[in-house]
Amino acid sequence: MNPRTRHALELVLDNLVWFMLVFVLVVFSIFIPNYFQLGIFANIIEASSVLGVMSIGLALVIIAGHMDLSVESVAALSAMAVGILFCSSGIGLGVQLHPEWLMVPVSLLLALAVGCLIGAFNGFLVVKVKMSAFIITLASYIWVRGLVLVISGGRSAQDLAPAIRWFGIQRLIGLPLTAWIAIACFVVFSLIMAKTPFGRHLVMIGGNETATFRAGIRVNRNLIIAFVLAGAIAGLAGWLLAIRTSGATANLGVGLLFNAFAAVVIGGVSLKGGVGTLPGVYAGVLLLSAINTAINLMGLPANFTQVIHGLLVLAAVLLDAFKQTIRQRLA
Amino acid sequence: MSEPLLVLDNVTKNYGAIEALKGISFSIGKGEVVALLGDNGAGKSTLVKIISGGLEPTSGRMLFEGKEFLARSPAEAKAAGIETVYQDLSLCTNVDVVANFFMGREITRKVLGIPVLDERAMEAVVSKALASAGTRIPSLRTKVEHLSGGQRQAIELNRFVHWGGKLVLLDEPFAALGVEQTRRGLDMIRQVAGQGIGVVIITHIMQQAFQVADRIVVIRQGVVAGDVARNKTSPDAVINMITGETPAGAGPAG
Repeated sequence: MNPRTRHALELVLDNLVWFMLVFVLVVFSIFIPNYFQLGIFANIIEASSVLGVMSIGLALVIIAGHMDLSVESVAALSAMAVGILFCSSGIGLGVQLHPEWLMVPVSLLLALAVGCLIGAFNGFLVVKVKMSAFIITLASYIWVRGLVLVISGGRSAQDLAPAIRWFGIQRLIGLPLTAWIAIACFVVFSLIMAKTPFGRHLVMIGGNETATFRAGIRVNRNLIIAFVLAGAIAGLAGWLLAIRTSGATANLGVGLLFNAFAAVVIGGVSLKGGVGTLPGVYAGVLLLSAINTAINLMGLPANFTQVIHGLLVLAAVLLDAFKQTIRQRLA
Repeated sequence: MSEPLLVLDNVTKNYGAIEALKGISFSIGKGEVVALLGDNGAGKSTLVKIISGGLEPTSGRMLFEGKEFLARSPAEAKAAGIETVYQDLSLCTNVDVVANFFMGREITRKVLGIPVLDERAMEAVVSKALASAGTRIPSLRTKVEHLSGGQRQAIELNRFVHWGGKLVLLDEPFAALGVEQTRRGLDMIRQVAGQGIGVVIITHIMQQAFQVADRIVVIRQGVVAGDVARNKTSPDAVINMITGETPAGAGPAG
C-alpha cells in the first residue's frame, strides 16, 4: 500500500466518527420530516451538554489506560448537594446568599469539590493500592448513588435559585449558556490533551506504562490527577444537570454512564488505552444526541431508546475491535 | 583508568534460593567503555537492572561519584544521571517519534503561564539528532507502531546519545540493527564516552566488544570471571573466561 493511501485511510479511521455524524445528520434530514431545522440542531447541541461534559472525564481516564464507572453517580451526588442547598421546595433548604450571584460560584465550587473528593479516593485506591480501576469505580458507582439516596431520603429538591437557573435560560447565539459551558470544556480539555506535557504524558501512559515509568514520568501522580479531573468534571456535569432540571431527584442521571461510555467509544477512544481524542468524543456525544432527537421526532415509544443505545454500545465496541484489525494491517 | 564513576562492591541478588549474583565487584571510570560479557543466564541483565533502579540488590553496595548510591526507581537513577537502553524497547508505540524522543522531558514554552508543548522546537532537535547519527525515518510525525524494529532501536539509541547524563547502560542495543547502523551505533558510543560519560554495554558479539570497549568484564555464574583491558587480551582468552576454561578470576588484572 502506498503511503498516500495509507495516510488517507488513517485520516478516515482517526475521524470516522465525524463522517458518521455528518452521514447520520444528512440521512435524518432527508428522511425525517421537520428534522432539518436550525432549532433541531441547536436542540441536539443543547441536549448533549451534560452527557458531553461527563464524557470528557471518562475519556481522560480511559485514554490513560484505566476506567471510571463512577462519573454518573458523582454527577448525581453533586447535583443533589447543590439541589439540597439552593432549592426552595421539596427537600431543598433554600439557602440564600447576598448578593445573589454569589450562589453561582459557591454552588459550582461545591459541585466540583464533591467530584474532586471522590475522584481522589478512586485514584488513590487504583494507583497506590494497585487495585483494578474497574472494580474500584464500580464500587464507587454503587456507594455514591447510595449516598444520594441516603442524603435525599429518596425525595427530590425543586425550584433551584433563579441566579443559578439563569445559566440554563440565558441564550447566546441560540444556545443556552450551559451548552456553551460544555463546548468550552471540550475546547479547554482538547487543548490540554493535545498541547500540554500533562496531556501527552497521559496518552503515553495509556500506550506503555512501563516505558513512561522507565523514562522518569511520574506515572502515579499523573494518574491520580486524571481521576481527580474525571471526578471534578463529573461534578460540573452534575451542576449542569441540576440547572437543567431545576433541582435534583434521587434517581437523577440514571443511565447516563452507559451513554457516556457509548459516546467515548463511538468517539474513537480505544478501551485498551492510549488512543483517542476529545474532539472525537464530542462528535460521539452529538451523534447519540442526533439519534435521540430522531427517535423523538419519529414518535417512536421512548422505550425503544434504550434498545437502540444498547445496540450502539455494542456496535461501538465491535467497531473499536474492527479498527484495530485494520490498523494492524496498515502497520 | 580515570577516577571511578561507579563502583560496585560485592553486589548480590537472590531470587528465593537461587543466587543470580553471588557478589559482583568492579568499577567504571568516567569516559570509559566497559563491555559486559557472559553466557545467557550469567546475570548481566540482573546487574544492569540493579544499577538502573529496576531491581534492588540483596546485599552489597554501590558508590556513584564517590557517594553511596541505591536507585529505588528508574526515575531516581535517571535523576542521578544514569540512562538505560533496555533490551525490550521502552517506546510508546501509540505516539510519534518526536514524543518518544522527548518522553518526560518535553520542551515547552509558556502561554499565559501554562506550559505548552513546543512541537516545532522538539521536531528540530530530533531531526538534527537523527541526521547526525545517520538514521533515516520517513516522517518524525509517524507513530512508532508503523516503524520497523531497526528504526525503533535507532530511536532509543539516539535518545541516549542526545540525553547522555553521566553513565549509560546499554542492554544488547544492536540486536535489531543492520551492519551500517551498528557501525554508527558503535561510533556513537565512542563519541559519548569522549564527552566523559561512562558506558556499560552488554553484548553477545565478541567483535563489537573489542571494537568499542576499553575494558572487558566477563560475568560467569554470578561472579566476575575476568576484568581485563581490551589491549591486554584477545577474543580467544575472553571466550575461555566466558565458558570457564580459565578458572574464575584468573584473567590478568586490568
